[in-house]
Amino acid sequence: MAGAYAQFWRINLLTTLEYRENFLLWSAFTLVYHGAALTALWVVFENFPSMNGWTFKDMAFLYGLWMLAHALHNALFSNVEEVPERIREGEFDRVLIRPLDALFQIVTTPGQIFPDEALMALGYFGFAIWYSGVRVDATFVALVPLVVVGGVSIELALNLLIATVAFWVVRVDELRWIFLQLESEFTRYPVSIYSRGVRLLVTFVLPFAFVNYLPAAYFLHHGDTGVGLPPQAGLLAPLVGLAFAALAYAFWRFGLNRYQGVGH
Amino acid sequence: MIAARPRRRRRLAPYWEVMKVAIAREATYRFGVFASLAAFFMRVYLLRMVWLALYAHNAAPRDLPLHTILSYATVALLMGLVLDIDQTRALHDRLHDGSIATDFMKPISVPLFFFADGTGEVLFRIILLVPALALALTLVRIDVPSPAVAAAFALSFTLGYFVGFFLNFILNCTAFWTLEISAVQLIVTWLTDLLGGEIVPLALFPAGLARVAYALPFAAMFSTPLCIYTGLLQPAQYAGAMGLQALWLVLLAAISAVLWRAGARRVVVQGG
Repeated sequence: MAGAYAQFWRINLLTTLEYRENFLLWSAFTLVYHGAALTALWVVFENFPSMNGWTFKDMAFLYGLWMLAHALHNALFSNVEEVPERIREGEFDRVLIRPLDALFQIVTTPGQIFPDEALMALGYFGFAIWYSGVRVDATFVALVPLVVVGGVSIELALNLLIATVAFWVVRVDELRWIFLQLESEFTRYPVSIYSRGVRLLVTFVLPFAFVNYLPAAYFLHHGDTGVGLPPQAGLLAPLVGLAFAALAYAFWRFGLNRYQGVGH
Repeated sequence: MIAARPRRRRRLAPYWEVMKVAIAREATYRFGVFASLAAFFMRVYLLRMVWLALYAHNAAPRDLPLHTILSYATVALLMGLVLDIDQTRALHDRLHDGSIATDFMKPISVPLFFFADGTGEVLFRIILLVPALALALTLVRIDVPSPAVAAAFALSFTLGYFVGFFLNFILNCTAFWTLEISAVQLIVTWLTDLLGGEIVPLALFPAGLARVAYALPFAAMFSTPLCIYTGLLQPAQYAGAMGLQALWLVLLAAISAVLWRAGARRVVVQGG
């Protein structure tokens, strides 16, 4: 399986090299996407210097932590998003007759996949560390990768949950779109600004708060998180992420076992 | 004059049918529209909390009290439901699968055909927007302008809609040459969101960035109608602001016409 995985990245690289202009255009889009989001935040904070005690420097770090998890997820697992389309077109059935785990086959379907966003995220995160003035010590260096693993797992879990719905419902594009919008709202601002119901929702049901808000509150020493948990809870991100991903995987297996094809 | 009228009606009849078919097609995908309405309400609700938090801890900027910004943000999201539609996507799709070749053989004006198709989709959205607007008015209690201001807003919104239409048409026209345009379209969408004043009013932009935003056509789509609606633009400024919108409209329409002629002459159909 390791060999297959290495082969997958080799084909990705060759495909990217083959379609250079297209790759550059999509990279430009990624740059504009994050650039526009950060510019909007900057403009707002030029006029309103504080949001529940969070300054623009804090926001820049908060964004960096999310961007890292999000970009890494996109590089490693973006293929999961293709499941509904594959089911609709009847291609998914082919995955089921091969002697390899279905999810592994999905994840390793070669395409024009290149970790350009992840590289941008790494660069931006380096900047955000410097700009926000967060204390970088041995604990920080040890904990950040774990937190990012947690964030990637939470994104993967959500992605997989939506993909699994496609076993029963033919069109889930809108559902995915709604969740993408929610994710970008909930990971951009301190969760404490939302009403009580929303705060509890993003902490205990759809654990977006563990992707970046709680860990950032811990690293930046924001005492009151407003979600009934101390900032240290942010360090549970990897555990929360793995638990959520395990849950999503169980649901995926459940859906897979009941899947009967779309009748092609 | 009177004799000419039925003939004109007959000439427009096919486009009318195309529009009706487009409305029916959208109606079959109503789940998508309902989903975008659901997303709309969530975003109104969440964005409201964002602005509330910002106003709770800082001094309000001059000319922009909380109720104004909440109205601005809500109406911007409502406008987005219409303006974010890729009205002439059919052009790109037909270039991709080659069916554009048969469109050219039909005894119709192909651009008008795409216009009718896009208008049908937009009209369907507008029908669904009315309940959304009513709910937004009562739930978030956004400002309701006077009839005169509302009329100016409607006119400005229409101008902005056509600026958006031609911008979208130009982008879809580039598919005559490049075939893969999704990335460029998304880039323009995000630039429109930011520099059009859809997310943050341009009045809050630092001087340098504001100059860039006002020099681009995106502000004619969102910012101008929104500033009229919220009173950021005074009636004395309407003529100038809408004149600028009209200027963008004419310019983009002219570019569209040139691109269409050049493109139609060298139709290259992928794999066709």
